[in-house]
Amino acid sequence: MAEPIDETKVIAWLDNELGPEEAARVEQAVATNPALAALAETHRAMRARFAAAFGPIASEPVVPRRTAEVVSLAAVRAARSGQPPSPARRWWVPGTIAASLVAGLVIGQLGRSDGISDRGDALALAPSLSRALDTQLSGQEGPVRVALSFRAADGTYCRSFAASHLSGVACRSDQGWRLRYAAPAAAPGGTYRMAGNDPAEASAIAAMIAGEPLDAAGERAARAHGWRR
Amino acid sequence: MDEFEDALSSVLPRLRRFAHGLTRDPADADDLTQRTAERALRARGQWQTGTNLDAWAYRIMRNLWIDTVRSRKRRDKVMAPAEEGRDVGVAAEAEGKAELHFLMRALERLPDEQREAVALVMIEGLSYAEAAEVLEIPAGTLTSRLVRGRQALARILSGE
Repeated sequence: MAEPIDETKVIAWLDNELGPEEAARVEQAVATNPALAALAETHRAMRARFAAAFGPIASEPVVPRRTAEVVSLAAVRAARSGQPPSPARRWWVPGTIAASLVAGLVIGQLGRSDGISDRGDALALAPSLSRALDTQLSGQEGPVRVALSFRAADGTYCRSFAASHLSGVACRSDQGWRLRYAAPAAAPGGTYRMAGNDPAEASAIAAMIAGEPLDAAGERAARAHGWRR
Repeated sequence: MDEFEDALSSVLPRLRRFAHGLTRDPADADDLTQRTAERALRARGQWQTGTNLDAWAYRIMRNLWIDTVRSRKRRDKVMAPAEEGRDVGVAAEAEGKAELHFLMRALERLPDEQREAVALVMIEGLSYAEAAEVLEIPAGTLTSRLVRGRQALARILSGE
């Protein structure tokens, strides 16, 4: 004797989870039993309704746009030294770093450059922020969140972070952490911007980074050495 | 871009949709998508070539979201309950996404374990086996959460 056809079975049938024989049996039952037919229609309609509302999200591209007008540290330095700026790097080019910022690039508002860029006299950070940069690993939750750690071309360790009022990139000098790029943590419109969610910051990092960002093991090793080069 | 990044970037749009189902909030969903991408890139050594990258990435997202919810609960114990989501909801309405917003509010009324099962199967279109793998639960558990979740949603949407 086959099992009775209940709501679970009807839903599994709609989800294409049944083998051909069982599917035929449910189909037959739905065709002849008005109560089962109504049940099937309810669930079919509900699934279609969610598909219609949520489907477009998956069609929105989550790819980096390369048109953002950005503050580039490389360009600033070039301007200071009178040399022409090197062409902006494509986001994908630095590999992992770019990919790690993909979602942020798309999600963040593009085309703004409201960050404070590196103009030579780098800024020291508040003790609480310095402490977080000293001790926290990337991705840990807290008042300060570190998104990414990497080595700059001059060998210093740098970290991108988001705190309550400020997000940016700081590098460890012999005198402590120095701000190299910063933007208000609250983007225009009051939405909170998470670490890494700023195209200008991404560009700043792309201009500074040497090689790949640190992985978890690399971070621990760097932390163990006090982030000294 | 290597094979891994290629595969990851192709699953990102679907991950972002799953994030909408999980978080019921566009801003949270975008943040969660980004953190999932970052975590997946850092943990890429743990992914075995040839295994299902989608299920692996969905699982990372789901676990990150559980951590987020836990830490918010801890925070809310010491702070006044935040009015999170209210403004975002208004913005979503203004963008002509009233239906999406409405359905996210309906999902909000489900228990977490039912919501994630419904999001994976009914919205993401995963098979029962794949969804059970993502959630690391037996197939029977997945099926019962899924059915209870859908029954509850149907009641909510019919205005009962």
